[in-house]
Amino acid sequence: MSVLDTLKSLIGGAKKDIDKNLTKEAESIEEAADSIQTSSEEEIETKSDSETISEEETLKEAIENDEDAIVPIHAEADEEEVEEVPEEEVSLDNKEESIDDKLSEDEESSEEVEEPVEVEVEEADEEDASEENEESDNMTLLKENDIYSMDDIDKEFTQKFIDAGIETVDHCFQCGTCGGGCPSGRRTPYRVRQIVRKCLLGLREEVVSDPALWMCTTCYTCQERCPRSVKIVDIIKMARNEAAKAGYMADAHKATGSYVIKFGHGVPINDKTKELRKAIGLDELPPTVHAFPEALEEVQKICAACEFDKLIGYNMETGELE
Amino acid sequence: MEIAYFLGCIMNNRYPGIEKATRILFDKLDIELKDMEGASCCPAPGVFGSFDQTTWATIAARNIAIGEDMGADCIMTECNGCFGSLRECDHLLKENPAKKDEINAILAETTDKQFKGETKVRHFAEILYNDVGLDKLSEMFTKDLGINVAVHYGCHFLKPTAEVGIEESAENPTILDELVEITGAKSVPYKNKMMCCGAGGGLRARDIDVTLSYTKEKLDAMAEAGVDAIVEVCPFCHLQFDVGQTEVNAKYGTDFAFPVMHLAQLYGLAMGLSADELTFDAQLIDAAPVLEKLA
Repeated sequence: MSVLDTLKSLIGGAKKDIDKNLTKEAESIEEAADSIQTSSEEEIETKSDSETISEEETLKEAIENDEDAIVPIHAEADEEEVEEVPEEEVSLDNKEESIDDKLSEDEESSEEVEEPVEVEVEEADEEDASEENEESDNMTLLKENDIYSMDDIDKEFTQKFIDAGIETVDHCFQCGTCGGGCPSGRRTPYRVRQIVRKCLLGLREEVVSDPALWMCTTCYTCQERCPRSVKIVDIIKMARNEAAKAGYMADAHKATGSYVIKFGHGVPINDKTKELRKAIGLDELPPTVHAFPEALEEVQKICAACEFDKLIGYNMETGELE
Repeated sequence: MEIAYFLGCIMNNRYPGIEKATRILFDKLDIELKDMEGASCCPAPGVFGSFDQTTWATIAARNIAIGEDMGADCIMTECNGCFGSLRECDHLLKENPAKKDEINAILAETTDKQFKGETKVRHFAEILYNDVGLDKLSEMFTKDLGINVAVHYGCHFLKPTAEVGIEESAENPTILDELVEITGAKSVPYKNKMMCCGAGGGLRARDIDVTLSYTKEKLDAMAEAGVDAIVEVCPFCHLQFDVGQTEVNAKYGTDFAFPVMHLAQLYGLAMGLSADELTFDAQLIDAAPVLEKLA
């Protein structure tokens, strides 16, 4: 679904049966919930009563489902807001504020949103929430009252993408088409547009430590639709390479890597398939590394030369992960 | 045409009926499939490529070099993942001389192979469609398959279109539907047809719940469309729809029972091969009810 469609349904659809939308259009509802977190209180007041109520309900739900939802706002929030301005039918004076004005209200508006959230979620103490966010498998992209300083920016991180031939990272104008079509974006906290932005800004630590980075299936829907031909999937994979180097690699992924070193196959053969192959007249072992031990040695030498064994903590002597 | 036949992992190590049907089909078509002796895992583009690009590219380049040394016109794979990996590496090293030199230096140190950039990486379905043709293929079939199927394209067959170069739409392709319908099976439209199965990019290994929510969304849409079976061109999607379907049923309390067929297996049925030969009996979702329909 395109961003335009999402916005249309956000504006028009909110007046219709929200429940119906909840089930049928999970995507637009997620976006709606997102936009409520990001809208200023001021804006909510400008909307019709029914709209406000139903959106608040959605917000409540979003909060119940995911405590992370409590963490509000910021750069993303204001970007979304700005994008919405020309589309909003409820056009009041405040809509005519310049974009710059809106951006300068960043801090203010984040506090404004926080208030109603706290009222509605009785037990969600602010401190608890942020504590939990830090400990849990937190997928939320921005933390409360985040302010970036030059210390957060690692220009070398951005340069890695450029050096790898992904200079299109710099072509992104943040339209959001990528996220609009992203199947992971509508079921996980993965926000592809934000990641691309952070890669360009050089927010290394935030990118590599974010578990949501691993929610992409590399389906290429975003890349196909990108009006700026940004090599988005290449960006995600390169960012993951950096995350792996920084030690953010899941055990399950280390295991997959270890199979390739140990057997030369991510999915090695088993006894059942050997039998099956024999039964239908194929060679028991396929003519791959499985049938050619010297070929397996080559793969293992490559892994050692690239220090892939060290990356995943694989012990070449014992053949096990450490 | 000389084809270097790249097996990969899941097809030959889990669903050998796909390999069997392919070998029989190409035999009938009188096209020789040459084995790539000592080939390894491609390795998987989304998952392995996410760990370390250099290791990934070197292993992939080694596989391509095996095909080049055989003097083959192309390397054929019938897995979207292997296609994605080998094609992407081929593209990367052909476009980026510095990267090619870097990878070849590692290959020189560890093997007797070099990436030369002299061959092409092609997908089984695309070769059948463009080089063999629907008419010639139809002549191979002895049985009319009157079933309704959900065609699943998968992600790395056509995308990213700018690099893959198969002349097809990424959003509304017909190549696979045409290849399916010459068997007499009907490709039924369904919602989110072009959506991912959910297994790729390392998600199945790392976050199975997310993967299953993808798969369930696809299965729901297929159920709504009323299909008898799922047809795809990727053993990893095949595994996800077969094994993953049972996992969806366990997790969501559903009772989906769509047998999963790789295009090669569908062609096997159309050529009159038995369910055993196509190793349908080894799959988790029982194909018998659908196969009875065909009998």
